[in-house]
Amino acid sequence: MIRQIEKYADKLYADGSALPGRTALLAQDDCLLTWGAEELFSLGRAIIERLNVVSLVLAQPALPFMELLLQRVAEAETQLVPLDTETRTFLHDIPLVRKSDFSHADPQHLVELLGQRKGILVEGVGILATGSVTVEQAYINYSSVYHAVYVKTLFDLLCAAPPSETELQLLQPLWAQLEQPIASRVADLYQGELAEKSQILAAMQQAGLRTVELKLVDSFFGNLSCGQGDQLYISQTGASLDDLAGCIDLVPNDNSSTAGITASSELIAHRAILAETGAATILHGHPKFSVILSLLCDETACGITDCWKDCAKVRYLGPVPVVAGEVGAGGIAKKVPPVIAQQGIAVVYGHGVFAIGQQDYRQPLEAMIALENWCREEYLRRLKLRCPQMNLQETL
Amino acid sequence: MKGWHGRLLNIDLTTGRSWPEALSADLLQNYLGGRGLGVRLLRDFYQLDPFDPEMPLVFAVGPLCGTAAPTAARLSVVSRSPLTGTIYDCSAGGRFAWRLKAAGFDALKIVGRSSAPVALGITPQGGEFLPADQLWGRRITETVQALETKGSVAAIGPAGENRVLYANIMMGEGNSVGRGGLGAVMGAKNLKALVVDGQLKTSIVDQQRFTEARQDVIRLFKASPVIYGDLGIANYGTPALVDLMAQRRMAPTENFRKTVFADADQYSGPAIRKAFQPKNHGCYGCPIQCKKSLQDGTPLPEYETVNHFGALNGINDLRSIVNSNNLCNQLGMDTISAAASISAWGEARGRFPRAEEIGALLQEIAARQGDGDQLAEGAKRLTQKLGKPQLSMSVKGLELPAYDPRGAYGMALAYATSNRGGCHLRAYPISHEILRKPVATDRFDFAGKARIVKIAEDCNASIDSLVACKFSFFGASLEEYAELLSAATGVEYSPQALKTIGERIYLTERYYNQQLGFSCQDDLLPERFFTEAGSSGDGIEVPPIDRSRFEAELQKYYRIRGLDSQGRFIQADFLEQQP
Ligand code: SF4
Ligand SMILES: [Zn+2]
Repeated sequence: MIRQIEKYADKLYADGSALPGRTALLAQDDCLLTWGAEELFSLGRAIIERLNVVSLVLAQPALPFMELLLQRVAEAETQLVPLDTETRTFLHDIPLVRKSDFSHADPQHLVELLGQRKGILVEGVGILATGSVTVEQAYINYSSVYHAVYVKTLFDLLCAAPPSETELQLLQPLWAQLEQPIASRVADLYQGELAEKSQILAAMQQAGLRTVELKLVDSFFGNLSCGQGDQLYISQTGASLDDLAGCIDLVPNDNSSTAGITASSELIAHRAILAETGAATILHGHPKFSVILSLLCDETACGITDCWKDCAKVRYLGPVPVVAGEVGAGGIAKKVPPVIAQQGIAVVYGHGVFAIGQQDYRQPLEAMIALENWCREEYLRRLKLRCPQMNLQETL
Repeated sequence: MKGWHGRLLNIDLTTGRSWPEALSADLLQNYLGGRGLGVRLLRDFYQLDPFDPEMPLVFAVGPLCGTAAPTAARLSVVSRSPLTGTIYDCSAGGRFAWRLKAAGFDALKIVGRSSAPVALGITPQGGEFLPADQLWGRRITETVQALETKGSVAAIGPAGENRVLYANIMMGEGNSVGRGGLGAVMGAKNLKALVVDGQLKTSIVDQQRFTEARQDVIRLFKASPVIYGDLGIANYGTPALVDLMAQRRMAPTENFRKTVFADADQYSGPAIRKAFQPKNHGCYGCPIQCKKSLQDGTPLPEYETVNHFGALNGINDLRSIVNSNNLCNQLGMDTISAAASISAWGEARGRFPRAEEIGALLQEIAARQGDGDQLAEGAKRLTQKLGKPQLSMSVKGLELPAYDPRGAYGMALAYATSNRGGCHLRAYPISHEILRKPVATDRFDFAGKARIVKIAEDCNASIDSLVACKFSFFGASLEEYAELLSAATGVEYSPQALKTIGERIYLTERYYNQQLGFSCQDDLLPERFFTEAGSSGDGIEVPPIDRSRFEAELQKYYRIRGLDSQGRFIQADFLEQQP
């Protein structure tokens, strides 16, 4: 179990979501194991020992989203409603606790909230998330909350009150990150038609890993597939993109075997896309700025309230189409295939990006990188327009 | 009270009396309903012999039954199992549960023994005793047809009448209260059938909140490949698992001598679809509808059944398997235990039965004639009589289902700790070890499994008390069900609170079992799994289970449960401290 803890602690740092020194991981087997920032242990212990769970992450997000969020939401607000659809589906609302509402010595209030939800936001501590099966599960729940907070905060800077100077200052490290576009590091990936099983599996693992290394996505969010004749290789449900060895299913198109019941929940969408476009490969992930910008809509007289599933329009991010649709057996499989061939890439409202390749994973990965870079630039452009009195360049 | 009615109907078959009794809000809130309520109601009776007339047979619904909560039109039947000797509960779906709730009762508590065969009519007015001499000896469909004008039927077949130790209680639509032989308990009471009718509504406190929680659940179902995926159970039923278990090399074959059956594709989900173009059906009101049937409505077998009447007996004939399933349903007995008993017998005498012999054997079992009389006692007693007890692939006398423990170590541990014996559903580690829900775990590793099993046992005890279907939890979690429950009852429940209730129920059952003489000696797997390898191949090694690792993890489990190293309760007054 200690191996598990170390593995996911490394991941939290590697993906840049948790602040070193302000992160702790606790897990209980028949005894309690702790890792990370010691000053969080007593709080962590007081919580985990009162919950019927396996693991607990307590971590300050690496970027100061908590501060922004707490300043922005009304004092009386007790929860955050995620804008991205995956988090909304799996975590619902995320409780928000202020310093004044709990004590480190007796965190009963936090225990109760974590007894209800898989992740919560706590002023001064950060994100707390639990897992009732594995350590990985607490990591996944942490990542989901982090993703939700990231998307919500940056979306609000564009669409709610414009950012104050202090906020822009606080986000300095983010602006610095955005200054560097994501490198289009694909030249060393498998090139050309993927034919052999071993080659396909290797190419899929390589592409998944690269997508994570480039910080396009957090490792847990995404899936990929490769069609081969009348069958399809696809990553399994809940598989980490950077850890795909042994986690790829082979699924015959005629459903003559159901062994692929463990395949990604997006199997239906992958099948439909390959059938419609004749592509060979698909890469799906949740790059943050593509997700954030997909939420922007200029419509003023639209009656739809659940845009993420009910919007019938095709909107565009630059040339890239954006459609709405639910995960899994919902709408993605219907909405994405008709539009994805235009640019080889399409965005799902508040969810993520699908990109296709004619042969290998270079093409979809490049397209995803290009789109995310475009979205980052577009985000900054729009932000500058919102605060003309400020020179964002100077703040940078 | 909302969600619950706060009423139980007592029935005494000896005296022919029935009378309602109030159930306190306190009791219901602490035990929910279903399994929890049933187990609590047995507190003063669990030490009785299963066939003692005074041993209660409890039918209990839950607070979500009668609402639009997905998969919640279910009940649990609770008593003591004649097969295992443990406290026993089994959950079943169907219109019967819904109607029982609509008759205004949270539970039926049946005691006594009728002097002649009897059927019980249950309406909001109470119980009515209907003579059933004419029905005695009849199969399930005939029995249901004779009574269904009066409402929804639950009945026993010849197997229950003849006290086959794994006789089922069958619901009219084909759902079964299976495994532990509660049909024999019913038979021992001379009770052939129950028929319930009622139109009362289950009222809900906060409709808006309930509707939102329901939408959350449905959204999670849609996002779950196991449920609504192209290859999931809504499309193929549980036989969707045949191909997966073959690929994972953990499909019990020839009484667990092997773990791969070359002809499993003859009865896989796709093979069944091709052969029969089945209709979807399922438990009443369930949006998943995982059950499949022939066009005429005859239910098709579940995964465990196809494997056990297939691989476990070395049979590859799909039609024979469908027949066996059908016969068991008609005779009213458990498919897993019937097939596993036949398989153990087959290995003991050096020959597994041929497909065409199975039908006659099943009839002999139900009638307790010929070899059937021994087979009706279950694999453990049967193999003991034959002097080959090591061939009983059972835990606490309950025959193991179709997940070989050498292929999933959490499952190995959970079979051992299950307080109703060798059952996969108590902790259901297959969910994470094989189906990757809610997250994947390493199936060939014991690390961490003790606590995972403990937590899952607690969760499932509360799920069985709501009563919801385990399959919901391939998508949803206790979070959404706690929300449904809070919205329905107006009592605030969190997932943590539900786990605490589940823990109470689980420990109560274990305590009863301890008082009945069960000890750590019974938390054990058959020897075969520690000494013989499974069928390795395709790059998958299936070694025997490392006994010392298994035992170490079992010790961890005891510690996490707060038990001593012998698996015993540390506080002698555990039961007195429970509400
Ligand atoms: S999922 Fe299947 S077993 Fe469960 S309630 Fe629905 S139909 Fe019944
Ligand atoms: Zn996605």
